[in-house]
Amino acid sequence: MSEGSQYSHVIIALMAALTVSRVVAEEAKAGHLAHFNDKVLPLLQEKCFKCHSHESGKMKGGLTLDSRAGWSVGGDSGPAIVPGDPDKSLLIKAVHRLDDDYAMPPKEALTEAEVKILVDWVRAGALDPRGEKGTAKVERPDTNWWSLRPLKPTGPPKVEGINHPIDAFLSVKRQASGVSPSPHADRRTQLRRLTYGLHGLPPTWESLKQFEADPGDGAYERLVDALLDSPRYGERWARHWLDTIHFADSHGCEHDMERPNAWRFRDYVIERFNADVPWPRFIREQLAADVFHPEQMVALGFIGAGPLEVSSKGTAPVTFAYLDRDDMVNQTMASFASATAGCARCHDHKFDPISQDDYYALQAVFAGVDKGDMKYDADPRIAAKRKPWQALLKAAEQKDATILLAADHQREAKAWADRRGGDASWDVLQPTTFVSTGGAELKLLDDGSILAGGNSPATENYVITAEPKQPKTATAIKLELLPHESLPHNGPGRQPGNGNLHLNAFTCQLFEAGSKEPVNLPILSASADFNQEGWTISHVLDGDPRTAWGIHPQEGKKHYAVFLFKEPVKLKPGSRLAVSLEQSHGTQHVIGRFRLSLTESSPEQAQVLPPGVRDALSTPADQRSKEQQLAIAAHVASEVATAELDAISSAQQTVFGMNKKSVPLTVNVLNRGDIEQPLEVAHPGAISAMSVLESRFHLSDPNNEASRRAALAKWLASAENPLTWRSIVNRVWHYHFGRGICDTPNDLGRMGGQPSHPELLDWLAVWFRDEAKGSLKKLHRLIVTSDAYRQQSVIREDAARIDGDNRLLWRMNAMRLDGEQYRDSIRQVCGRIDLTMGGPGIKHFVQTKGVFMTPNLNYDAYDWSRPDAGRRDIYRVVWRGIPDPFMEAMDFPNLGLLTPKRTHTISPLQSLVLFNSDFVLYHADCLARQLKQESAAISQCVASAYRRVLQREPGNFELSRMQAYAEAHGLAATCRLLFNTNEFLYVE
Amino acid sequence: MTPLQPDLSCRRRFLSKSGGGFGALALGDLLASETFTPRPEFNGGLHHPAKVKRVIQLFMTGGVSPMDTFDYKPALEKLHGQKLGPKNKPEGFTAAVGAMMKSPFEFRQHGNSGRWVSNVFPHQAEIVDELTFLMAMTSKTNVHGPSTLMMNTGFLLTGFPCMGSWISYGLGSLRDNLPTFVVLPDPKGLPYNAKAAFSSGFLPAQHQGTMINFTGKGEAISNLFPDKRYPFAGGAADDDGLKLLAELNRHHAESDPANSQLDSRIQSYELAAKMQLAAPEAFDLSRESETTRKAYGLDNKVTEDFARRCILARRLVERGTRFVQVWSGPDGPVNNWDNHNNIEKELPPMAASVDQPIAALVRDLKARGLFDDTLLIWTTEFGRTPFAQGSVGRDHNGGTFVTWMAGAGLKPGVAYGESDDWGYKTASGKTYCYDLHATILHLMGINHEKLSVRQNGIDRRLTDVHGHVVEDILA
Repeated sequence: MSEGSQYSHVIIALMAALTVSRVVAEEAKAGHLAHFNDKVLPLLQEKCFKCHSHESGKMKGGLTLDSRAGWSVGGDSGPAIVPGDPDKSLLIKAVHRLDDDYAMPPKEALTEAEVKILVDWVRAGALDPRGEKGTAKVERPDTNWWSLRPLKPTGPPKVEGINHPIDAFLSVKRQASGVSPSPHADRRTQLRRLTYGLHGLPPTWESLKQFEADPGDGAYERLVDALLDSPRYGERWARHWLDTIHFADSHGCEHDMERPNAWRFRDYVIERFNADVPWPRFIREQLAADVFHPEQMVALGFIGAGPLEVSSKGTAPVTFAYLDRDDMVNQTMASFASATAGCARCHDHKFDPISQDDYYALQAVFAGVDKGDMKYDADPRIAAKRKPWQALLKAAEQKDATILLAADHQREAKAWADRRGGDASWDVLQPTTFVSTGGAELKLLDDGSILAGGNSPATENYVITAEPKQPKTATAIKLELLPHESLPHNGPGRQPGNGNLHLNAFTCQLFEAGSKEPVNLPILSASADFNQEGWTISHVLDGDPRTAWGIHPQEGKKHYAVFLFKEPVKLKPGSRLAVSLEQSHGTQHVIGRFRLSLTESSPEQAQVLPPGVRDALSTPADQRSKEQQLAIAAHVASEVATAELDAISSAQQTVFGMNKKSVPLTVNVLNRGDIEQPLEVAHPGAISAMSVLESRFHLSDPNNEASRRAALAKWLASAENPLTWRSIVNRVWHYHFGRGICDTPNDLGRMGGQPSHPELLDWLAVWFRDEAKGSLKKLHRLIVTSDAYRQQSVIREDAARIDGDNRLLWRMNAMRLDGEQYRDSIRQVCGRIDLTMGGPGIKHFVQTKGVFMTPNLNYDAYDWSRPDAGRRDIYRVVWRGIPDPFMEAMDFPNLGLLTPKRTHTISPLQSLVLFNSDFVLYHADCLARQLKQESAAISQCVASAYRRVLQREPGNFELSRMQAYAEAHGLAATCRLLFNTNEFLYVE
Repeated sequence: MTPLQPDLSCRRRFLSKSGGGFGALALGDLLASETFTPRPEFNGGLHHPAKVKRVIQLFMTGGVSPMDTFDYKPALEKLHGQKLGPKNKPEGFTAAVGAMMKSPFEFRQHGNSGRWVSNVFPHQAEIVDELTFLMAMTSKTNVHGPSTLMMNTGFLLTGFPCMGSWISYGLGSLRDNLPTFVVLPDPKGLPYNAKAAFSSGFLPAQHQGTMINFTGKGEAISNLFPDKRYPFAGGAADDDGLKLLAELNRHHAESDPANSQLDSRIQSYELAAKMQLAAPEAFDLSRESETTRKAYGLDNKVTEDFARRCILARRLVERGTRFVQVWSGPDGPVNNWDNHNNIEKELPPMAASVDQPIAALVRDLKARGLFDDTLLIWTTEFGRTPFAQGSVGRDHNGGTFVTWMAGAGLKPGVAYGESDDWGYKTASGKTYCYDLHATILHLMGINHEKLSVRQNGIDRRLTDVHGHVVEDILA
C-alpha cells in the first residue's frame, strides 16, 4: 500500500466522523452555503462577534459564534442552535427578544430581515462550513509571515573593504542610517569577551600575556579554535540549552521531588555540544533517539525536561496528563522552531497561522508518552543479549509447546521439579503481642489467627510480635487472610461494602535475644494465590504508600501471600520477630482476620505457584498430561528468563525521560481547550502553515507511538523547515550579542519581535544549513570573527542619538555575568576550580526530610570548603521549586517555564548577596590566603589580585586606595570588594 | 512615600533611555517596571484612583473546611449519614466518597451583620462586621499544588508570577529601605509547590517574594549582614568598603559615561545599606507594647508563632512594604488545614493557632488607621467535601470555599455569593481567583487587563484571560 493511499484512508475516516451535512444533496448544499457565506456570516460578524468570538477575546455566557463547534456545543445554557428547529434554538429565541434575559444583541435589536436570515439558515439545517475540514475557514492569520517563508539563498551584499559576510549585511543598514561602527576593542577585552562567551570563564593572566605576545595574522582565529576545542565550551553552551528547555533536577509543582537520574541528560547535552553534533541530528536524538540513534537513548531526557505535577499519575490523571502533554508540545515547538503552539490550545492562534487542529495534532504526537525515569541500554549491543530471553518469556506467556516441550526445556523443567520436591511445611507463629494502631479490638483465636473487631478505622497498622520456637532457620513468612462470620461479607477484610482489604506494606524485624535494637529483614520477593486487578502483591514491596495488594472480587474465602527473605533468618532461642502490616489506603480497606507462619523449606517450595503449576506438581511426574508438563515448563522458563533479564537490566542506566504507554491515548480536539468538551479525534501532525512540509503525518501504524515522535523530528529537522534554521541561528546570535536579530528567540511569530536584519538572519540560516552542515562550532567561529563582535562596547553619543537601542550594532553590547559565570570565575581566580566533568549533581545545600514528599533544602548551611564545591555550576543540582537564593538573585530563571533569554536585574537584594553571602566571603578569604603565599608585600598582593580578577594591572589610584583599605581591614576584605566591582561583573 | 527618583542630568537621562546597555533593563528595573508608572493623580494607581496601597495576605494551607467555619449548612444536619455524593471519585479527591457529614461544631450568628460562624473561630466571630466575605469562591482543581498556584498566580502550573510579584512589578516600592514583597512562611515548612507559590515567575528577580525566617533563630533575611565567621567583613570594613567600592565603580564608569547600568549598580549598594539600617528595626518586636503582644497572643504557646508573624506583617506594611504574605501550615497532609482524617480533632488546633492573632490584626490595623489604605485578605486554596472521607474526615473540594477581605475600599460586614445547600458547589455569585485578583488590583488602581507582560508570545496577566471586578463588595 502506498503512503498516499494510506493517508487518504485516514482523511476519509476523519471526514466520515465529522460531516453531518453529507446527506444534504450537493445542489441544495451549494445554495445553503452561499446563504451562509453571503448573509449569515457577515451578520454574525457584525452583530455578534463583538461579545462572542475568540477574535474579540470575549465569550459572554461561554458562547462563541465564530465556529460551528462554538454554537453546537454552546455556552453556559447549552447549544445555541438546534439545526432544523428555529423554535428550539436559543439563538433564535434571543434575537426574537422573547425573554428579557435572553434578548440579543443586548442594546440594539436586529431588524426583521436580519432575524429572517438567521431563522432561514437554522431551519435549513444551519449549514456552517467553518468547522469542516477542507473548506475555507474564516479569515486566517497570514501564512506569508516572514519566519514562515521558505529560505532563499542570497549572497551577502558587496561592500568595499569588508570581507566578512556578517559585517557586509550590518554595514548596509548602518550606512543607510548614517551610523558608523566602533573600532575593535583592545586585546584584553576581546579575550575576556571570547573566553566568557565560549567558556563562561575569565581568561587567565598567562593566557592574556600569550595572546598579547602574538600579534600575528590569525592569532585571534587560532584562539577561537582553541577555545572551541576545549570541553569548557560544551559546559557553557549546555547551560543555554538547559534554560531553553526548562530542564531541572526536580519535578517542581506540589511534590517537588528529586530526579536523581536527570543528570545523565545534562551530561549528554555537554557531550553533544563538545562533539559538535549536527543540529538536525541533535533534534532527532532528543525527540526520537529510540528510532534514529538507539546508541543515544539518554537524549530522550529531553522529553522529561520540564516540570511534572505528580497528580498526573495519581489523583487527577486526566487534567494533569493533558497539561503535561501541553508542556511537551510547547517545549518542543518553542525550542526547535521558535513557535508558540500553546497559544492555539483554547482557540486558533490569534496571531499566527497555527490552528487548534494543529495544536492537538502536536498533542497527539506525545499521546503515547509520560515523563518518568527511563531505563536504557547504555550500550545498544546489550539489546542483542536480551533477545533470546525475551523470546523465551514470550513463549512461556503463550505456553508455546513447540519451544517449551523441546528436549532442553523439558530437562530443565524436570530438574527444577525434582529439586523442588514436595510442598513447604509451615509453622504457625504464635503471637505474644498484637496491636492495632487504628484502634480496633484484636482477639487471638485458637488456631493462632487474629480477628479484628470493634472500631473499624479507615486505615490500620497491625504490629505483631512473637518468639518463634520453630523453625530454627526461616526462609519465608506466610500471611494468611482468613474469612470469619463476624466480618462484613465474611471478610477476610473489613471493608463494609465487600469485605476487601488493601495491604500497602509488609515489614519484618528481628530482635536478637536481649537486644532492644531491631534488625530489618529484607524481603526478596512476594507471591500470592490471587491478585486483585491493579492491586498485585508486588505493590506491597514497592515502597509506594499509595499502592497495595487486594483480593477483590474474591472476598469471602481464604487467601495467602508468601514473602521470601533475602537471606535465611537464624532464629536463636529468645529472639523475637516483629511484623508490621500497613494498611494505609483508607476507606476501611483493612484486614479482618489473619495468621502468620514460617518455613525453613526451600524458596522454590515456599513461593506461591500459579494454580496450574500447583495442580501439575501434585500429579506424579510420569502421569502428567501434556498441559501439565507445559504448565511446569512455562513456569520454569518464565522464572529463568526473568532472572536473566533482571541480570541484564542491572547493567542498564536510568535517565529521567519518558515512559511509553502500551497504546497511545486518543487525543481529541477540545472545544475551548476544555477536557469536558471533546470534539473530533486529532491525528498526529504539526503546523500546517508551511505547505512544503506534511502537516499530518503518514504513519503505517498509528499505535506505534515512536513513529509519531520520529515524524515530528523529521518535520523539525527538515531542510525545508524555515523555522528550525532561523530559530537556531537567531538563538546563537542572541547568546553572543546579548540580543537576537529577532529579540524573542522562542517566538518568531507576530507576537515576537521583528528581525532587525532579516536578510542577514536568512543568509545565516542557509549558510548554517548548507555550508556549515549544522555545525554550531562553525557558526560560532563565523560570528565571533566578525568585526561586529570585536567592537568596543562604549556608548558613543553620536550613534546613540540615532540608534539608542543599538539595533544596528554600532557597538558591542556589554553584558553582565550571569550567576554561573560569576561563581565559576571566582572559583577560578582563587584557584578553587575543579574541572572534573560529569556525574551526579553537586548539592549546594543540606537536604533533610521535609514535611511530606518535598524535602527541606538549606542553602545557607552548605560548607564551601567541601571538596565538591569547586565543581562548575553546570554540575549543580537545580531544584525547580526551591531555587538557590544566590543564583536566583543573579537572575537564574524560574524553570517552571521555558527561558530563551535571561533577564539581568540590578537590585539592593542582589547587592546584599554579592557583598555578604558565604560564597563570596569564603572565596575572598581563599584568594587572600593565596596572595599572601605569593608575596608578603601588600602592594604586590593587591596588584596580583587585580591581575587574577580583572586581568590587568591596577592603576596608581586604585593601588593606593586598595592598599590602604587592605592595611586597615585585611586582604580578604579587599578581594571581597573586587568581587563586587562593576568591572568584574560586566564583560565589555 | 514617593518612589525614589534618580538624580540624572539631562544628558544622562537621554542616554539612559536611549541606550543604557543592551536589553534596556537598566535603572527602571531598580524601581519597578519601565512600562508601568504609578500616577500621583491616581493616588499611586496606574489606571484609576487607588484605594489600597498595601496588602497583607493570610494563606491557610491545606483547604479550610467552609462548612465547619464560616459557611453554615443546616441541610447537612438533616442529610447526615446518607449516601448522596457522586458515585465515581471526582478528579483530585483522594479517596472514595463517603456519606454526608454534618459539622461537629456549633454555629451561631454574630455582629450586626448576623454572620454565622462556628465555635472554632470565637475571636473572628467578634469582628465579622469588619469583614467582607466571598462565600462562593471556586477552584478549577481539587489538587493542593495547582489550586494553591491558582490562588496565588492564576495558573495551575508553576512558572507564573504571584500576585505580590505582579503588584511589586506594577507599582514598585513605597519606600526603598525595605523589600517590596515579603513572605513569612510557616516555620514548620514551605507550602505546597515550595517557593513557586511566591515566585516572580518570568518577571525580573527583584519582584520575588523576600522570604523571612522569623523564628527567632538565625538571620531573618539571608545575607543582610555578613556571617560572623568572616572577621574581615562587617562594621568598619563594610562602611569603608562600600565607600571605596562606590569610588572604584565611579572611576570605572568614566570609561563608559552613558552606561546607566553602571550607575544603577552603584545605587543598588546605597539602597542595600539603607535596608541594613531599616530591617532590624522593623523586625524588633520588643518595641511593641505589652498590651499589643497580649492582644495578638504572643504570650501563649498556641498562638505565639502566628501572632509573631502577624505583628511583623503589620510593622512591615506600616514601614512601607507593599505586600506581605503570611502562611499558616506547611505542605503535606497533616499539621495544616488538610483535615482528611478527622475534622473534629484536626481542625480546632489549626483554628486556635490563628484565630486570636487574626482578630487582633484586624483590630490593630483599624486602630492605627492603616485600614485607610491597607487591605487584609484571608484565604485558602479550596474547600472540603460535605461528604465524609473515611467516617469523620473531609476530602478536597474545589467546588466552593470562603475568602474574606477587610480594609480600604470595601463594604464591611457584607457577603457576596452563596454555596449550594450542601456546601458542595457554588449556587450564586461564583468567584474565581481571577475575580478576586481583579478586585484586589482594581482596589490598587490597576486595571487587571492592562497589567500584562509579553512572555514567549503571549501577553500574560495575573488574571489569565478572565476576571471580573466584584463590584458588589466595593465601597
